[in-house]
Amino acid sequence: MRSLRAATLLLFAALLACGEDDGGETVITFPGSAVGAEAELVRRQIERFVADRPGVRVEFQRTPDDATQRHQLYVQRLNARSDDPDILQLDVIWTPEFAAAGWLHPLDRFGPDTADFFPATVRANTWDGTLYAVPWFVDVGMLYWRTDLLDAPPATFEALVESVRRGSSETVPRGFVWQGARYEGLVTVFLEVLGGFGGAIMDEAGDVVVDSPEAVRALEWMRSLVERRLSPREVLTWHEEESRFAFQNGTAVFMRNWPYAYTLMGREGSRVAGDFDVAPMPAAPGGEPTTALGGSQLAISAHSDVPDAAWELLDYLTAPEQMLERAEVAGQLPSRPSLYDDPRLEAAIAVPADRAREILEAARPRPVTPIYSQLSELLQIELHRALVGQKSPADALADAARAMRETIEESGIRDLEARR
Amino acid sequence: MRGFSRYAAGTALAILLVATAFPFWWALVASVSPEATLFERPSLWPREIVLEHYRALFDVRDFWIPIRNSLVVAGTTTVFCVVVGAFAAYAIARLRFRGKALILGFILAVTMFPQISIVSPLYLLLRTLGLINSYPGLVLPYLTFAMPLTVWLLVTFFRQLPGDLEEAALVDGASRWQAFTKVMLPLAAPGVATTGILTFIYSWNEFLFALSFTLGPERQTVPVAIALFRGQYQVPWGQIMAAAIVATFPVAALVLAFQRRIVQGLTAGAVKG
Amino acid sequence: MSAVAPRRGFEAAERRLAWSLVAPALGVILLVALFPLGWTVWESLHVHDLRMPWRGKPFAGLDNYVAMASDGRFWASMGHTFFFTAASVGLELLLGLFLAMAMNQAFRGRGLVRAAVLVPWAIPTVVSALLWRFLFDAEAGIANAVLLDVGLIEEPIVWFIRASTAWVPVILADVWKTTPFVALLLLAGLQNIDESLHEAASVDGANAWQRFRHITLPLLKPAILVVLIFRTLDAFRVFDLIYVLTGGGPGTSTEPISLYAFNALLQNLQFGYGSALSVVVFATTFAIAVLYIKGLGMDLGEGPR
Repeated sequence: MRSLRAATLLLFAALLACGEDDGGETVITFPGSAVGAEAELVRRQIERFVADRPGVRVEFQRTPDDATQRHQLYVQRLNARSDDPDILQLDVIWTPEFAAAGWLHPLDRFGPDTADFFPATVRANTWDGTLYAVPWFVDVGMLYWRTDLLDAPPATFEALVESVRRGSSETVPRGFVWQGARYEGLVTVFLEVLGGFGGAIMDEAGDVVVDSPEAVRALEWMRSLVERRLSPREVLTWHEEESRFAFQNGTAVFMRNWPYAYTLMGREGSRVAGDFDVAPMPAAPGGEPTTALGGSQLAISAHSDVPDAAWELLDYLTAPEQMLERAEVAGQLPSRPSLYDDPRLEAAIAVPADRAREILEAARPRPVTPIYSQLSELLQIELHRALVGQKSPADALADAARAMRETIEESGIRDLEARR
Repeated sequence: MRGFSRYAAGTALAILLVATAFPFWWALVASVSPEATLFERPSLWPREIVLEHYRALFDVRDFWIPIRNSLVVAGTTTVFCVVVGAFAAYAIARLRFRGKALILGFILAVTMFPQISIVSPLYLLLRTLGLINSYPGLVLPYLTFAMPLTVWLLVTFFRQLPGDLEEAALVDGASRWQAFTKVMLPLAAPGVATTGILTFIYSWNEFLFALSFTLGPERQTVPVAIALFRGQYQVPWGQIMAAAIVATFPVAALVLAFQRRIVQGLTAGAVKG
Repeated sequence: MSAVAPRRGFEAAERRLAWSLVAPALGVILLVALFPLGWTVWESLHVHDLRMPWRGKPFAGLDNYVAMASDGRFWASMGHTFFFTAASVGLELLLGLFLAMAMNQAFRGRGLVRAAVLVPWAIPTVVSALLWRFLFDAEAGIANAVLLDVGLIEEPIVWFIRASTAWVPVILADVWKTTPFVALLLLAGLQNIDESLHEAASVDGANAWQRFRHITLPLLKPAILVVLIFRTLDAFRVFDLIYVLTGGGPGTSTEPISLYAFNALLQNLQFGYGSALSVVVFATTFAIAVLYIKGLGMDLGEGPR
């Protein structure tokens, strides 16, 4: 009985506590990771930011780094019109979705210097002609290769297969490792191979072309890797970490992965420290080396009650100086090409700067549409079916394309675009 | 039951226990192994013992805070549910009135919605009440699954109790309330303790609500804290396993303390006859 | 109802007491659950997609439910869910019953065993799923190492790329994690069975199986019913475990209905359709619970006691 009363009291106490006043202070809420080098860095940068702005306070909210969990959390808060967080940290594929839902504050009125960013990153953050987020740092898929086993990275898919054969041995049995589980990562890998074969998921006009002959060839090639054991069958269950460990333990010749792996594999405990390098993904004649664009964007919530202050913080965090510091501390690549000539960047990032820029210039955003996650899901499922052998690549892509077209049709997005 | 050969039962039990313990053992090994060795050939023993994962847990991640939060939230939920649930269960199991089936059915129906579909409206509700990022803001939604479990379990236990003692107390002039608190509750102690343990662990494990209704480390529970270990790509296996090991201790201690109650009651001979 | 006045007064008092005892529990549940449940049902009757504000939120009646009928992925995921539920709950009931009966014996260290048995259940599902993913990793996993050692297989099985093998770790992980729940509940039920009944039956010459069949099992029925209901409810809504272990793959071969609903609701923001899927999960579990109650011949207390 007593606990019942206690619980009721607790309830009332909490009800009373929620009406607190901020006393004229401007409070910006900022979500992010709470621990680790990156979190320390953000905290330091924000301390500097508030230092010359009396009356401004920044409040941290600890959010998951895992994309699915963060997405779900944001959806809940934004759909409930919660006025915090003020700033959102978005995955590159969420911007159009959140913008279409009316959850993001348009940034054009603040006059962002879009010309100074990689064009692909600006395109990915633009919906309906308006910029909704500023690229904070970029992530790109890269081909890691073993310098102790090979002389040069392969430029074509055939050369890659050849090199796998040459570099493989009893102790290096795994050939080419990548991310083949049924999740978003598979789509990024496919996008890269697809671009290499000269295909695309959607064309410039926004039509689905993922059932083109190039696409079928790309998927057939991926499947043949597994069938010919040039890639272990396990890759079809792998995410980033499993492939990183396989490569780090010295059991693979090639790996497709993001830049985060570069720093980790140079550390103590890695069997390949000093024995690997990165290159752009290979391409077939008629295609070009393609890399999937990833990374993090900063946006302002449409429900924010302090959008101007939030923009100031956003602008501060994405300024060249802060990007360089971020590269130094967390090894994350700046989204401004001009910084790649800066000697400080060369010293900061593990990947050689000119190599990084070369790869970044080949970066291609995934289709920029509010229904991307659904299209991607349809594609993931069919890609995976083809790779594990449940369907032929041609059938799988035909089914994926049909389902994607139906979804687009149903959404009415095309009519909306036509009307504008 | 006695014919159930104790020897055979013992052996089978031992096998089951080993099977139960094995994954846990593996987690323990992983928690003291350097991360890079985890993806090599499997081994039953750690090749090399390191304590860095445990150190990171307390030095860097303040892991005792989520443990405290989990204890508070699961504890409050359990106490609240058992107390309130015991009243309801007693009435349903022992008193004569109409609408019992309806009440039981309604209570059960509440748990049948997938959590993912009620998480958004619950967020709205809690925000209106100003309970986001508070302990009551977790205890309240936890009632949606804990209360039905408690009520159903307790109804079952109360039903099984022999009725004659209660009747005798009533005949002796005890009020219904006295019969409930003085006679039935002590008799039902094993059931109440079991219910308490089950409700506690149920709440201890909850993830989605705890993730959705908290904003920072000061209120996040153990499963959420562990989920936040993950980076965008990186999964700190060692720390996750260490956290899982550490987090089982409070639960195991609690179960150990409470399980005595389960054995008491009937086996102590309190009601025989 | 008795016609005698004092008797009626007594019954009325009992009814009042009963309702005042039930009221707090009902009140709390109504407070917390009514709005979310109503909201879900209401959403399910609309076309509502957060990504497409231009479509508005028109009332659609049962359209979402009609659309489900021709949605192959919905039917497939329902099939997977039924399969998973039957397999895991069945195994858990058998193993849990055995464990409970064993733990019901008096032996030294019984308390410790009871606490130890609960450990798997105290590990958050997300973590135990990761753990099982590891145990069944093709190269680094102990499962393949053991099978190779014993000579049952020639080369490592890649568990998660075939539907038939992917279910093995999924179901084992669930059984490992939740059998303790079943065992503890059944143990509590066993504790309530009067030992003298067994003694009397023994004297009458009943063997162990007969005593189990005719005394233990019937008396354990209420506990078994509760176990079945709550385990089925949970198994039918399985989410975290499969999300971490297989992500629903290969293809969609292990995708349960909750995962599909999660994707629709919180990944693809189709609030209308996602809610409709949730309502179907609700309706199905409710139907199963009713079947259990009828099938096991339980009365929920409406009849005279």
